[in-house]
Amino acid sequence: MREIVGRYGTALAGLALIVFFIAFAPNFATPGNIVNVLKDTSFLAILAIGFALAFTVAELDLSVAEVASLAAVVCGWLAQKQYHPALAVAAALAVGLVFGAANGFGVTRLKVPSLIMTLGAAAIAKGAAFMITQGVAFVGRWPAGFTGLARGTTLGVPNLVLWLAAVTAFAYVLVKWTRTGAHMVATGEADEAARLSGVDVGRMKRLGLLLAGVMASIAAFLLAANLSSAAPNMAGDYLLYAIAAVLLGMTMFEPGKPNIGGTVFAALVLKVLGNGLVLLGAPYYAQDIVLGAIIIGSVAFSASAMKKAAFKV
Amino acid sequence: MTDPILSLRGIGKSYGAVLAVREVDLDVFPGETVAILGDNGAGKSSLIKMISGAEAPSAGEMRVRGERVRFSSPHDALARGVATIYQDLALAPRLSIAQNVFMGSELTRPSPLPFLRLLDKKKMAEESRRYLEQLAIRIDDMSRPVDRLSGGQRQAVAISRALRWNADIIIMDEPTAALGVKETALVLDLARRLKASGRTILLISHNMRDVVALADRVVVMGAGAKIADRPAAGLSADDLSHMIMNGAAPTAPDSPRPSTGPG
Ligand SMILES: Nc1ncnc2c1ncn2[C@@H]1O[C@H](COP(=O)(O)OP(=O)(O)OP(=O)(O)O)[C@@H](O)[C@H]1O
Ligand SMILES: [Mg+2]
Repeated sequence: MREIVGRYGTALAGLALIVFFIAFAPNFATPGNIVNVLKDTSFLAILAIGFALAFTVAELDLSVAEVASLAAVVCGWLAQKQYHPALAVAAALAVGLVFGAANGFGVTRLKVPSLIMTLGAAAIAKGAAFMITQGVAFVGRWPAGFTGLARGTTLGVPNLVLWLAAVTAFAYVLVKWTRTGAHMVATGEADEAARLSGVDVGRMKRLGLLLAGVMASIAAFLLAANLSSAAPNMAGDYLLYAIAAVLLGMTMFEPGKPNIGGTVFAALVLKVLGNGLVLLGAPYYAQDIVLGAIIIGSVAFSASAMKKAAFKV
Repeated sequence: MTDPILSLRGIGKSYGAVLAVREVDLDVFPGETVAILGDNGAGKSSLIKMISGAEAPSAGEMRVRGERVRFSSPHDALARGVATIYQDLALAPRLSIAQNVFMGSELTRPSPLPFLRLLDKKKMAEESRRYLEQLAIRIDDMSRPVDRLSGGQRQAVAISRALRWNADIIIMDEPTAALGVKETALVLDLARRLKASGRTILLISHNMRDVVALADRVVVMGAGAKIADRPAAGLSADDLSHMIMNGAAPTAPDSPRPSTGPG
């Protein structure tokens, strides 16, 4: 019983929350609102998966949101100039790859703790985004091939949801079912033991941070494509949400461990919560307060769940 | 006479101005259990670290099965069949038994996609169970995290990892230091099983009773040098303590080099 509460308690609570809003929040259960919540969830969940992959190798990536803003601005600039969508997407990915690789280099070669390295990278990305846009947003008529990446549907399913499904499947299979994923997990759990067993710990850390950058770029071009605009601060707010999603996700399914399923479901719960609160007429600042409480509460919950698990034989 | 499986000649290690190990010659024969004794700071761990690949020697040469080796990491040593059971066991506490046994050398199987190989979790669980059974340890669930095992069972998991690497030279650094009476008995039993399976064991211990129980030969270190090297037969725990303090046993004369492997 305790095992079930530890594994699924917060997931069930999240489910209960969704049911609550369906029942009581006016207009929550309309098709338009649900599609919006799902779209919003996709950006957040993809970004949070990146954060979770870095967290899997025991590194923090506080630059995901600002890197996403920069990548959005870079691909938005190209889209506005009517370049081919593939070029815009490639440019966004390049931004994430460069920042992800730089973070990995700084952490493993220069030995800068990831907290500091990625905080610095975030500031640089933010500055670069403002430099490129000169502080204004790129808006306009963008190529349909680009906006369709996020706004279109394939066989009736919104493309954004497909993107999320693909990214989730990739990350889940990587972490759970491949040797590389096993090495990432070992690195995050016990880097010294992993090193002694022949795991290339530095390489795994670089990979985790690189993937965090890539996920940030994917979230970025989807965000820009969905809005047909790119602003230098467009993803900044996502950092706290992404952290909250990963930490809340760590209370689910595999208590105490960053996990992909928990991260995605927690992203959905957070977006439902934000949306539901607005629909119930809560003031705008309520979301931040709730978010902060969730971040702290999740970690406290995981800590106690882990303690109980350790005593149980 | 068989050839030594491990052979050190003039091995030395200095840490800056500190000469931790000086000019050590040592031959270990297949299937032998050699205890390395000495006071605190005598250089036991420093010597072992060179054999396990954790530190590079600053002088001398090392041979495994007759081949000259230069380990630049513990992984190199593992690949040559030299495995070390570290004092802190080097396990990942929250990962499962199977994940720990196969850490760094996971088994995979093909997937429907040609470029993708997936972990073979079932086989890893089965083989982990088999390794533990060789050590007479029965645990029902190979997915149990290691932090839910007893100290002795954890030691068995660490040894299983050495078995997984097919190691035939196993180094145990203070294997019973942190354990209670029952757990100590369990670990001694594990070591006996390794020995019975023909593996070569290097054992560091401050517990003379463990040494008397297991060792075929004792090597005593003092101030970085090897000060005694003789068969363990006939030595009591008190004799060993005396040797550590004086470099020689009180009764039997000290024989500088054993002439044969295990009896
Ligand atoms: N990394 C290091 N840097 C400098 N000096 C070291 C280092 N490691 C060991 N030494 C020194 O080398 C000498 C031998 O140390 P070592 O750890 O090998 O002794 P030991 O026999 O294992 O002792 P103990 O029984 O206490 O474990 C000591 O004087 C120690 O201070
Ligand atoms: Mg020591």
